[in-house]
Amino acid sequence: MKELMNLETNPPPGIRIRSEDCDAFNEWLVDLKGAENTLYEGEEFQLLFKFNGRYPFDSPEVTFTGSNIPCHPHIYTNGHICLSILTDDWSPALTVESVCLSIVSMLSSCKEKKSPPDNSLYVMKAGKNPKKTRWWYHDDNV
Amino acid sequence: MEGDKTLATSASTKAVEEESLAALNMDEAILSQRRGIEEQIASEQQYLVSSTRELSELERDYQHHGEFSARIQELKLIYGCLRRTRADGNCFYRAFGFSVFEALRKNKAAYQAFRKSITEAKEYLVIIGYPTFTLEDFYENFIEELDKVCDGEGCPISQLEELFNDKGMSNYLVVFLRLITSSQLQKEQDFFINFIDGYSTVKEFCSQEIEPMDKESDHVQMNALTSATGVCMRVFCMERGQYSTVTFPSDGKPIIHLLYRPGHFDILYPSADATADSPTL
Repeated sequence: MKELMNLETNPPPGIRIRSEDCDAFNEWLVDLKGAENTLYEGEEFQLLFKFNGRYPFDSPEVTFTGSNIPCHPHIYTNGHICLSILTDDWSPALTVESVCLSIVSMLSSCKEKKSPPDNSLYVMKAGKNPKKTRWWYHDDNV
Repeated sequence: MEGDKTLATSASTKAVEEESLAALNMDEAILSQRRGIEEQIASEQQYLVSSTRELSELERDYQHHGEFSARIQELKLIYGCLRRTRADGNCFYRAFGFSVFEALRKNKAAYQAFRKSITEAKEYLVIIGYPTFTLEDFYENFIEELDKVCDGEGCPISQLEELFNDKGMSNYLVVFLRLITSSQLQKEQDFFINFIDGYSTVKEFCSQEIEPMDKESDHVQMNALTSATGVCMRVFCMERGQYSTVTFPSDGKPIIHLLYRPGHFDILYPSADATADSPTL
């Protein structure tokens, strides 16, 4: 996959693709660093990208994984992320890099670390695949 | 008193939880219904772009709507036949792409001009910071197919039909036409912002209504895509009251013709030269 090689050779700051753990066609692991001067400075996170056969027409399934899931009003403790470009507003012109940058920016604009208000219920009931949830996107400021 | 209050709180929490649970189950139901509709459309319309059809076929669509049969008679005065496109939300871009490729393959000057405008539209997206990686990929693919179609004497119509009915290839072309539309809207945002409802910026409108697949089109998209590409297009709008035709730009000589019915676009061929292989240019 051309996109994988591109991200390996020119990664944006704070983003590193773990190519040793990537299955080029189905699943990628990406390391993400919290940006400087934000609540997440110094923290490291891991994102799991899963691609289906319809990519890039269909969005990848993106979740936080590993031991450190960021505490954020749009990120559930099971790793699911409420971000419109991951479902309804996905465009084939977007890339893994642009998804990572959107997530870093979402973290960076956060003013208070807290879980989503309906976290416990959602985590209990939601399936494995976040794309099976119809998300309501209501807050563009966080 | 304390006790009563606790009871009341937990009861209302329970109601909220039940409501959210019901909402989660409903999500699944709505998503599966949406998939069901897509599958049904795909099984009824095997094509993405059909072969040429008689206009009288439209009469069957409107058997129980008398007022439309008058519209169809009016349509027959101007047009000879049509091609249907699948109603998957991409019909405008697919109809536009097919008919432009068909018109350009026998018209070298228009082909070169079109090639130049889409390259400029792509360059504008690079300037405003679109990921070049994917953009160049869609652009190169589009140019490659366009060149193949317009090479020499122009490819046979069957090759064009094959190209636009191969789902992967066809959608790749649709993505690029969506990007061109987005480019034009953003370049002329001071103008287009006046015609956009429910969005505070043109950029936001583009990322939610233009760039994602399967999102339907209307007047704004028609205006943007034709002005970005310099293609003159006439649209026959068939609605309940009476028909109207709109030409983009209004003083141009149309090289492609589309039929618009609320929410859907098909391709039309003028009757003066009604065979699909040589539409009037």
